[in-house]
Amino acid sequence: MSDSLWNRCRRVLEGELTEQQFNTWVRPLQSLERDGELRLLAPNRYVVEWIDQHSLARIKELAGSFSDGAAPQVILDVGTRGPVSEPPQPVANGKPAARPQRAPPAVLGSRINADFTFATFVEGKSNQLAKAAAMQVAGNPGKAYNPLFIYGGVGLGKTHLMHAVANRLREQDPDVRLAYVHSERFVSDMVKALQHNTINDFKSAYRSLDALMIDDIQFFAGKERSQEEFFHTFNALLESQQQVILTCDRYPKEVDGLEERLKSRFGWGLTVAIEPPELETCVAILMSKAAISRVELPEEVAFFIAKRIRSNVRELEGALRRVVATANFTGRPITLEFAKDALRDLLALQEKLVTVENIQKTVAEYYKIRIADLLSKRRNRSVARPRQVAMALSKELTNHSLPEIGDAFGGRDHTTVLHACRRVKELRETERRIAEDYLNLLRTLAG
Amino acid sequence: MRQLALGIRLRDESTFENFVIGANAEPVAALRTGTAPSVWLWGPSGVGKTHLLQAACAEAGAPAAYLSLGPGDPLSPEALAGFERARLVCVDEVDAVAGDARWERALFALFNACADLGTRLIFAARAAPRTPAWALEDWRSRAAASVVYQLRDLDEAGRIEALRRRAERRGIELPAETVDYLMRRRARDLGSLLALLDALDQASLAAQRRLTVPFIRAALERIEGTRS
Repeated sequence: MSDSLWNRCRRVLEGELTEQQFNTWVRPLQSLERDGELRLLAPNRYVVEWIDQHSLARIKELAGSFSDGAAPQVILDVGTRGPVSEPPQPVANGKPAARPQRAPPAVLGSRINADFTFATFVEGKSNQLAKAAAMQVAGNPGKAYNPLFIYGGVGLGKTHLMHAVANRLREQDPDVRLAYVHSERFVSDMVKALQHNTINDFKSAYRSLDALMIDDIQFFAGKERSQEEFFHTFNALLESQQQVILTCDRYPKEVDGLEERLKSRFGWGLTVAIEPPELETCVAILMSKAAISRVELPEEVAFFIAKRIRSNVRELEGALRRVVATANFTGRPITLEFAKDALRDLLALQEKLVTVENIQKTVAEYYKIRIADLLSKRRNRSVARPRQVAMALSKELTNHSLPEIGDAFGGRDHTTVLHACRRVKELRETERRIAEDYLNLLRTLAG
Repeated sequence: MRQLALGIRLRDESTFENFVIGANAEPVAALRTGTAPSVWLWGPSGVGKTHLLQAACAEAGAPAAYLSLGPGDPLSPEALAGFERARLVCVDEVDAVAGDARWERALFALFNACADLGTRLIFAARAAPRTPAWALEDWRSRAAASVVYQLRDLDEAGRIEALRRRAERRGIELPAETVDYLMRRRARDLGSLLALLDALDQASLAAQRRLTVPFIRAALERIEGTRS
C-alpha cells in the first residue's frame, strides 16, 4: 500500500504525543483521502473534541507540509468508513464505491450468528420447554405463540434460542425480513432517528418486519419514550400476525419501570423460563462446544470445569476457550492440569491453605525482605511496616488468637498485634500504597 | 544553581519486543495471535498490563484504541460509544469502574457491539473478571466469558533485565552496582522501579551527573523528601 498522507501525519504525531494520547485519540481515527481533502472519522464526539482541541491545528499543518501544491482541507467528523474487517473500498470517481445493501432488514439490528442454531443448542431439563416453544414458533411464525417471551438469568441461552429461530426462518425463506436487536440498541437507534428526523423511516422499517426479536427488554425500564414507540411497533406487528420474540432477565411482571400495558401484553402469547443448567447439561454443553472447535475434551475435564462454573453457560465457554488456548499453545492434549490452571486464572481460585507461616512467607517475598526480619526485633520502618501488615493479615485470614499470632512473630505481646491491626486499618484508609499492598496480598493469599 | 532538564525525552514505546516476558509467554502469545474475541489480563500494578495493551494496539495498526478507565483518566461512559468500529479495542483498569452502573452499561454495550462486528477486545484489571463488585450481572457474565490470564510478576533476574532495557533505550548508563543498589533498596514492583528510573534520569540530567550509587542515594533522599 502506498504511504498515505494520513499515515505520514500519524507518524509525526506518534512522536509528539504521549503513547497513551496517541493510542486513545489518534489511533482510532479512520481516514478518507480524496482530491484536496483529508477526512478524519472519529468513533464519537468526545474524540472529535479532543482532537479539535489538541491536535487538529498540528494535523492541518502537517497535511499542508506533506502535500505538493495547495494544503488539503482537513475535515474532522464522527463516522466510519464502513466495516473495517474488509479491505479498504475502491475509490471510484472520487467517491467510495457504494456497498449494495438489502433494505430494510440489513440495516435493522444486529448480525444473526449462524452458529446459534437449534442443532447446537444443548438441551436439558432446565431449558427444554423454552427450546420446544422456540421450535414451534420457528415452524409456525406469527401463529403458534405470539409473542414468545423467554426469561431467565444471564448466560443461559436466551439469545441463542432467538438466533436459532432467526436462522430457521431464513432457511425456510431466504427473503424473510427479520431483525434481532438488543433493547439498548433499539433505544439508541430510536434516539438517533429522532435527532436526524428519520423517526418515520425507523417506524416503518420496524413495522414492516416479518419477525422482530428484542433481547434483554429489562433495559427498557424507565425509558418511557422508547416504551411508547416499542408499544406501537409491537401492536402493529401482532395485529398483522408477525412474530415477536422477547427475552428478559426476569418474569415480565417483576421488571420495575416498565409500563403496565406492556407487561400485560407480553403475557398474551407464551411465557417460558430458562433455568440454570444442571451439572450433566453443563458437561454436555462443554463437550458439544469442544466438538465444534474440533478439540478432544476428556469427560473428567468437562466435569471438573462444570462443577466449578455451574450457573452460567457463557462463563463455561470462557473457561473452555482458555483450556483450548493453552492446549494449542503448548501443543499438548487437554488435561486436568490445564483445566486447573485455566480456572485458577479465571476464578482466582487458591487451593492452598492460609497459615501464619504462609502469610509471613508471602509478605516477606512481596516486600523483598527476609522472613527472619519479620520475626526479628528490628524496628526500622522497612521491616516494621511489613511486619504489621503480616500481623493484620494473620488476624483477618486465620482463626488464631492475638497471643498466638504474637508468638508466631518472634514471641511478641498480644497488644503489639492489636496495635498492628489498628495501625494497618488506619493506614489503609490514609495511604493508597498501603491499601494497595494489603489488597494485593489479600488476593494472593485468599484468592 | 541546578540546571533544568529539557522537557524532551526519548519515548518509551511499548512493544512486544521490548516486553520482558518472564512467565507470561502464553498470555503474550494469545495477544499476538488474536484468536480469542476477548481476552482479560489481570495482576497487580507493575506487572506489565498497560505495556501489553499499548503493544497490542500498536501491532494492530489502525484503527485501534487504548482506553484507560483509571481514576486519573478523563474518559466518560459515553466516550466508549463507536469504538467497536476499530479493529481492536484495549480497555485498561476496567475494574476501576466496578459498581458504577453507568460505566458498566457502557462496557456491556461496547462488548455486545464488538461481538457483533467481530472487533477484538482486550481488558486489563487488577483482578479476575468475577472478582470486582460489579453492579450489572449482564456485564459480569460477558467479562467472565473472556479468555482469562493472570499475569505473573517477574522474578529478580527479570526485573533487572527490564530495568536494563529501559535504561538502554533511554541511553542511560547504569553501572552494575547501581542496579544492585536499586534492587536491594527499592525493588518492590517493576512499575515503581521504572518510575524511579525516570525520576533519577531527570535528576541526573539536571545535575549532569552519572547514575552512581552516591548520586542516587542523594537523589533518592531529595525525591523522597519532596514527596512527603
